[in-house]
Amino acid sequence: MDATSDLSTLVERCRAGDALAWEAFVRQVQGRLFALAYSYTGHREDARDLAQEIFVRLYEARGQWPSGGEFLPWLFRVARNRSVDYLRRRSVRRPAVTVDEAEIVELPDPAPGAEAQAIAADRRGLLHTALRGLSAINREIVVLRDVHGLDVKQVASILGIPLGTVKSRASRARVELAERVLALSRGRGDA
Amino acid sequence: MSGITCDQIRAATLDPGASPRDWTGLPEAAAHVRRCAACQDWLEAFATGEQAWTSVPAGDFTDQVIARTAGLEAVLRDLPRLADMDPGLGFTERVLRATIMKPSPVGWRAGASGAWRALVRRPRFAWEAAYVATLCWVLVFGNPVGAIEWSRSNIGAVARERLGPPVRELRSDLESWRAALKPEPASARGIPAGAQADPAPPVLRAWQAAAEWVRGAATSAAAAFSTAWERIVEWFARVFGEPSTAPTEPPAGPARSS
Repeated sequence: MDATSDLSTLVERCRAGDALAWEAFVRQVQGRLFALAYSYTGHREDARDLAQEIFVRLYEARGQWPSGGEFLPWLFRVARNRSVDYLRRRSVRRPAVTVDEAEIVELPDPAPGAEAQAIAADRRGLLHTALRGLSAINREIVVLRDVHGLDVKQVASILGIPLGTVKSRASRARVELAERVLALSRGRGDA
Repeated sequence: MSGITCDQIRAATLDPGASPRDWTGLPEAAAHVRRCAACQDWLEAFATGEQAWTSVPAGDFTDQVIARTAGLEAVLRDLPRLADMDPGLGFTERVLRATIMKPSPVGWRAGASGAWRALVRRPRFAWEAAYVATLCWVLVFGNPVGAIEWSRSNIGAVARERLGPPVRELRSDLESWRAALKPEPASARGIPAGAQADPAPPVLRAWQAAAEWVRGAATSAAAAFSTAWERIVEWFARVFGEPSTAPTEPPAGPARSS
């Protein structure tokens, strides 16, 4: 059973009120939702709070979950709306512009060796920092499109902007991101 | 199949010896790009940056292209790795506590019942209940001594009001009962004074004696009941207030001695 059908099964069981399925669902998607929340907050503890809020919202609405291929875009839409609400509420405490790379807990890297893992973690830290430098809409497009792999139509639907805007902004945002990463690398003597 | 792969297109883009425009004119590469969304995105991004790169001095152009495209490639390769982050220890349990382990809302009856049980189980509940009761008494009745006086007079009034009508009715019944049981005098039966009535047959005499005895016993019982009632009313009046004369007065005199 692949991940997609596994998730579809979990979704159906959760809709039916299966508590064990809900726990399995949380374990399966918590990494993705936490990563998405982190891309909005830029702060680890805030991202945990936000991810928990998203899960509570999902749990409360589990009777209305869409099924099949509509679920993941819907999930991201809910997460995105919740994140925007969260940032609005926390506007007095603005998210950090720079990311503390030390606080990023990385998943185990498939590359063997501590050095390779450290390089990979460093690389991801650079990417996070560079992402924080993008404008909010460009960052959202890159995160949804390139990080989480949604297609442009889904991204346009989630963000509520025209398809063409997503396409053009996505290209510019990628180049801008690459430039920022290179600049950060040079600044740290990695270039 | 054109035989061109994504890696070849990207390698061609990064080839410092080739102009970025040379390879895109190849029919095979164009056919591949038409079918491959990833390469379309790549070229779109490349084209977006190309306009800026044209302003770069000729000597640095190749280096700039290499740096930018290499950076872009690396970014596109690395971005999906950001899709999954470990939220840390205890996050799953935290979410489960906030969702599935959260106590479900209960009805007000069950909630009140549970709250009452929890309250009663507290060791100091008796003291607290006594305190609350005393507080309520003082708040409602004010000064305790005055409250007792007030209660006595009011309870007496209530007793008189409630007990008065049935007592009057009972007294009326008793009087009529007494009148019915009272033996008729001989003159009332037409027998002259000093004259001896005809002796009745023995059976009749025995019957009359029995009737007399029953009559006397009933009269005595009625008198005893009346006396007891009188004492009860007097006790009520003494305890709860002024005696109620009219309605609770027991039947008087002559019947009592009969």
